[in-house]
Amino acid sequence: MTLKVHVLLAGLLIVGGAQAQHQGHSPDVAQGESTAVRPKAAARATGAPWSSLPMLSASFGGGRGAAALRLSGIDADKVTVFAPGGASERLVVDYAATDGRASIQASAPMMGNYHWAQAREQRDGVVRVASTVWYFSNPGDAPTALLDRRKGELEIVPQPLPREHAQYRESEKCRFLVRWQGQPLAGQALTLETEHGSRAMAFTDDAGIAALVFPRDFGARKVEAGGHGGRERAGFVLSTAYNDGNQTYLTAFNHVYVPEAERSRSLTWGAAFGIVGMVIAAPLLRRKENDDA
Amino acid sequence: MPEALKSVLPSLSRVRLWVQIVMLFVTVWGASVVGHYSAEKISDALPALSCAYDMQNGSYCVLIPLQHQMHHRVGEALVKAQDVTLKILLPLAMTMLTFLAFFFVLGKAFCGWVCPLGTLQEIIQRVGRRFGLPLHRISGDKLGRVRPVKWLVVLALVLVFPLLTGLGVTPHEFGNPYCDVCPSRIATTLLSGNTNEFALNMESAWGFAIGALGNTLFGFVAVGALAIRQPFCRICPMLALNAAFRHLSLARLVKKPHDKCEKCGICAKACPMDITEIHTEHGRKAYHDDCTLCGRCAEFCPDDDVIQVKLGPFALFRSSRDYYKKRMAAEMPDGTVKPVRIVRKPTTGAQS
Repeated sequence: MTLKVHVLLAGLLIVGGAQAQHQGHSPDVAQGESTAVRPKAAARATGAPWSSLPMLSASFGGGRGAAALRLSGIDADKVTVFAPGGASERLVVDYAATDGRASIQASAPMMGNYHWAQAREQRDGVVRVASTVWYFSNPGDAPTALLDRRKGELEIVPQPLPREHAQYRESEKCRFLVRWQGQPLAGQALTLETEHGSRAMAFTDDAGIAALVFPRDFGARKVEAGGHGGRERAGFVLSTAYNDGNQTYLTAFNHVYVPEAERSRSLTWGAAFGIVGMVIAAPLLRRKENDDA
Repeated sequence: MPEALKSVLPSLSRVRLWVQIVMLFVTVWGASVVGHYSAEKISDALPALSCAYDMQNGSYCVLIPLQHQMHHRVGEALVKAQDVTLKILLPLAMTMLTFLAFFFVLGKAFCGWVCPLGTLQEIIQRVGRRFGLPLHRISGDKLGRVRPVKWLVVLALVLVFPLLTGLGVTPHEFGNPYCDVCPSRIATTLLSGNTNEFALNMESAWGFAIGALGNTLFGFVAVGALAIRQPFCRICPMLALNAAFRHLSLARLVKKPHDKCEKCGICAKACPMDITEIHTEHGRKAYHDDCTLCGRCAEFCPDDDVIQVKLGPFALFRSSRDYYKKRMAAEMPDGTVKPVRIVRKPTTGAQS
């Protein structure tokens, strides 16, 4: 029964959020509706966000030690950044959000690694939270303690985050912890929405962990080139909702995922050239009178 | 030493084998012990080919940040020509310093005791020796031609091409060309159950060509190691980086002059890198560029105290006549294993 209530609540909040955004930005209404069919294509054509859920997405600008974030689906005047380490006064820093954008920085010039960014909106009995992580490419403390730290009432916490040279990928199963007041929340619905329009849902187990498989929804052709080395990537957003008496909480965590490696790689060709190398080396296995190679 | 420990670790080679096996676990699957994130690894720059593409490893290869910094920082920052100290020199110095911090302690011993690719090649070589496959030594002119290749690899693939890519001269595919041809990348990721790095990149002609070269090299090393000792180590950029500073390291090889050396030469036969100088030279010249500090030359030296593996002022191992005799009883200097003799234990009171 509780599960059904949570699912229903999540659905209502997501739809409600979309409607609220549409009402607040009337020129986007038609665009927002079209994103339900082909979100990414429409979003790229119009510049509109591909989901009505609260999100913090990468924007242009930034640079080493700084990052530009675009807020969507949320009306917040600041973005709070939690650092993995460094000076205590820089562990939690607020950055002003202007015109839906905020420029954030690493906690110190040489403190890289994952930083947690979060924006919050409280209105009409609903608390909406957008959260994401940003990897600053200098060396820095591992995000283990950062993820353990409580950063809000209702949280979605990756278990774990991808390592430096890894990313979320299509067809891979990933685990996320849902916490309420810092404690694991069992039986909670967690929904996944991707930039390509796929949706999925999972429920947390007794430890508050939900496992989700990223849908295989990149097209056969590249739909977008950008980022590091022109690699294709797309956004995803996870969301969950919880009602605590007279207050409702909707928390979202967004990031990017990439196509599965098999789309751009060939194991057959790899094996073929591996065998070529073996064949080249094979004459070495024949015995010779003179053992000098 | 207790008898039980003696039976498990009867020789320096057996000690080294156990260290290699432990380090193979750490460098390929060690994340389960030391932690998931790169920052939790044993080092950001462990000077072994502990591949960053392996998502389960417990350490990190210095060549990754070195290439990335040449590409993304030195090259791109030279174009922008700004914040030179903060953006260029400091990160590069940090990478080199973390590498050097490890190096100053153990130096070339990383090659012979830690490197996962070195361990795998030795295991393959043992299989070759066990099955009686031919052993090809690299000597004479061929040795002279092979030895400079490691310097060319470190110069071209680790430093110059990433820098040129950062400057926009060469395509993006040349951003980390050494990693793209490194057999350790393929070997360690395959060991962790990941075939992505063995599969070829089909997105660009350059990516495909470099990957094809890397896979061919991997195939050659996988089979070639049956008949040539440590085939890839001879051209490895890590060997070159370690060689550049080997005389500054605490760990080193020391050889004293001895009257019998001229006629002996067993140490050179025992050397997996075919270093003839360990036979013909002494002092600094005997500790050659290509040495991996495996200690086999000291194990197979038949005279007392002629060759030592030292850490600072302490001799970790020194050659001795008695040890040599025991060692030769089990294995030939070139690694050929003597056949196991099965002898029936005489029963007490048996009549002949």
